Amino acid sequence: VRGLRLAALLACAVGLAQADDGEVRLPPLERVTFDNGLRVIVGEDHELPLVQVYLLVGAGASQDAPGKGGLATLTAATLTRGAGERSAEELARAIESLGGAITASAGRDGTIVDAEFLAEDLGAGLGLLQDVVLRPRFEEDEVRRARDEQLAAIRAARENPSNVVAECFDAWLYGDHPYGRPAIGRPTSVQALGQADVRGFYERWYRPNNTILVLIGDVTRADAVARLKTSYGSWEGRPDAVPARPPVPPSVAKPRLLLVDDPASTQTQIRFGNIAMPRANPARMPASVGNTILGGGFTSRLVEELRVKRSLTYGAWSQFDMRLTTGSFQIGTFTKSATTLETLQLAVEVLQKFRAGGPTPEELTKARAYLRGQFPLALETAEAIAARLAEIEFYGLPQDDLTTYRTRVAAVTDAQVKSTAEQWMPPAEHLAIAVVGKASEIREPLEGAYGELRVLTAEACASLTEPVR
Amino acid sequence: VPRRLLVLVALTALASSSTAAHALTPPPTTKAVVLPVVTRDLPNGLRILVHEDHSAPVVSSYIFFRTGSRNEKLGQTGMAHLFEHMMFNGGKKFGPGVFDDTIESAGGSTNGYTTRDFTAYLNNFPREALPVVLDLESDRMGALAITEKNLEQERGIVMEERRLRVDNSVRGTMWEGLYLHAFVQAPYRWNPVGFMSDLERITLADAKAFFTTYYAPNNAVMVLAGDVDADAAFELVAQYFGNIPRQEPPAKVPWGEPPQDGERRITVQKRAELPAVLMAYHGVAATDPERAVFDVIGQLLAGGDSSRLSLDLVRAHEVATVVSADLQWGIDPELFVIYAQARPGKTALELTARVDAVLSTLADTDVTPDELQKAKRQLRADYVRGLKRAGGKADQLGFAEVVLGSYTKLFELPAQWDAVDAASVRRVIGERLTPPKRTRVVLDPLAAAAEPVGAEAAQ
Repeated sequence: VRGLRLAALLACAVGLAQADDGEVRLPPLERVTFDNGLRVIVGEDHELPLVQVYLLVGAGASQDAPGKGGLATLTAATLTRGAGERSAEELARAIESLGGAITASAGRDGTIVDAEFLAEDLGAGLGLLQDVVLRPRFEEDEVRRARDEQLAAIRAARENPSNVVAECFDAWLYGDHPYGRPAIGRPTSVQALGQADVRGFYERWYRPNNTILVLIGDVTRADAVARLKTSYGSWEGRPDAVPARPPVPPSVAKPRLLLVDDPASTQTQIRFGNIAMPRANPARMPASVGNTILGGGFTSRLVEELRVKRSLTYGAWSQFDMRLTTGSFQIGTFTKSATTLETLQLAVEVLQKFRAGGPTPEELTKARAYLRGQFPLALETAEAIAARLAEIEFYGLPQDDLTTYRTRVAAVTDAQVKSTAEQWMPPAEHLAIAVVGKASEIREPLEGAYGELRVLTAEACASLTEPVR
Repeated sequence: VPRRLLVLVALTALASSSTAAHALTPPPTTKAVVLPVVTRDLPNGLRILVHEDHSAPVVSSYIFFRTGSRNEKLGQTGMAHLFEHMMFNGGKKFGPGVFDDTIESAGGSTNGYTTRDFTAYLNNFPREALPVVLDLESDRMGALAITEKNLEQERGIVMEERRLRVDNSVRGTMWEGLYLHAFVQAPYRWNPVGFMSDLERITLADAKAFFTTYYAPNNAVMVLAGDVDADAAFELVAQYFGNIPRQEPPAKVPWGEPPQDGERRITVQKRAELPAVLMAYHGVAATDPERAVFDVIGQLLAGGDSSRLSLDLVRAHEVATVVSADLQWGIDPELFVIYAQARPGKTALELTARVDAVLSTLADTDVTPDELQKAKRQLRADYVRGLKRAGGKADQLGFAEVVLGSYTKLFELPAQWDAVDAASVRRVIGERLTPPKRTRVVLDPLAAAAEPVGAEAAQ
């Protein structure tokens, strides 16, 4: 594979019908809010005999109490291990016998329960999902099993330098803000979690007034809404189920560099950036265009300078990670140990040039065409549409966000991109930088290059997220 | 009515376009998923498959060349993949950098990938861009600029790719070691990314010879899926690709893997947290009638939380956290690979013992009809999911044409799975999935250093 972010660019192919104005046309939708506050969106898509459900609970790792890191993840992991009349094993067998799937996983700001079934199994599939969402058993032994597996997953993830750099960069950038802690938790916090914690998290946050449910598939809207009403209409709400938003974390005001030692490594992983914008932000579209020019696709400035011209790396990218309260802007790449400083300096220089000069007219035209052309491809499957519709509700984006996208991207101007880059892409003197590599080889060149230098082991990155006393 | 992915309930013959070179015979099953496809062969041997799907104004193009790392020799390993990289850097009409730039300017995206069996080039783009895409593709197929600059640029990039995927990856190192020991003679031995020393060694002359032999129209299959008109597409392809000369067909890959007598064991020592084990048994070629039995066995063993290995290793005995089992599909007989990752405190030996116990039970006792049915239903569901996107359809059609021998074989898969019975599951496990016929890679984790170099700088 030619790389960049590895599999990311392999996602492909056809999406939705196109309206006369060039915008994508969504399947026919119906939106209902039940009396208990559950927001429901149902869409008819008869192309394949499948039904897709995407349920978003508005609580995630950001709601993990102090000392309870990993609880949202553990709650989601235990959700599918026994529900209603079925034990964990019976539930798995029932779902898999239908050739279906129900998965649950927690992110930072939300938890997603995802289900897919054949349309002919609609009744049975929705029944199983209803059990999982409303009647999870959370048996003590299942909580223990899920916890042990989570502890093992935390350790296994450390084997991969790109996981280590992602975790340590978040800790280095966000510090003791909830976004600084890994959603999966840390060994010490997860070890202490038990059945009461999981039940408590579920009882508090898994409530209809904190949930969005999208169903798309080979159904009629009226039938689907009626079935959902029967299943979820009497689910009890709770006034305090909607969490307060996490506070806005402080931006990095002077450069700092974290070196995570990986003594056997021959390649250095590099990430750097700063706090940036939340998802709901008027600059989102210019930011997307600017990011495409700087570090999206195969013809970005980062790829051109680091990969094509100098063969320093196999992949280089930039991204805005837009979350509920705020998020980050970051650049990522990797290179052999010997060229660590050269690659880092060059990537920083590419960023600075873009901030200072903005896009060329050719770059702007190309980025707009690229995003416009790729948009229908990103909405090709029912699950992709369901996820985007749920996100619109969750982040409070305009309801026509998807159906005006192509017009809005075409209207982005040079001045908008330039001012967005200046405002939201950090200058060199405001960068948090994290590298994972062989300290005995790369430490000396990095010394003094970007402000304070700290050297830690991967395990010690946890200390960065502890409150400063 | 737009032609789409048709899910035909009951025995239904599918009328494909009148230009179809192959009549489609519906598979003998009550439910079949069949894509309408029309085909044409140009006089120079280029084979074209078109699947029309007008549900969105978008097209996926996949070009498969029948060359992968199995066509390489020791000393030149990694050539096919390095070549895939070079293909993006200009031909005769279009200079360096123009390919990616033109595709993205037209709203498309582009990439490629290389396997042991083949190399694929893909583009996903708005339908208006079809002529541009074909122009670019024909330029590089007909006259790639194989220059010193192109080679040197991609050589450095591919070395970084190897460092990422293999040298600095625990899993990548284990998989490379597995194939190097499971195969003795077959060129499936080496990883498609190649050995670092070979990546340093490959010359411009090697690259030129490789291009002439393998990047010929008679060694390629083009698949177009999406909002295209088949007849118009055939004309366009003929116009752009018709003048590229055919070449002598490549030499057949000599296959002569000797039978394995006795388990081969190797140890990988890497900085890691948890022990793990990879076990490979010699399987069958993707075209072998027995392949479907291996597919079903893979599902029975590790298809979901209610599978045999999950229930035994993860749930009952709590020795593993992750298990998987799959036959890799190849032109030549590939490997059936079982993977298990240990829980903290458990060993690779304990994982191996449980896997052996599960296999031995399955060799002695028939699986229940319900369990067999569940495995088949999961395989069919995965198959339908793989055809959700136009790119997925183009990829699968091309894969079937190159690896299974014809795109029509794709539609026969569900019926092949349905035909698998409990007796053949038992027989294949008993005969083939036995310790003396396997290669076992054990990960022996090296502990992390307690203190990093230069930790005194920490506050």
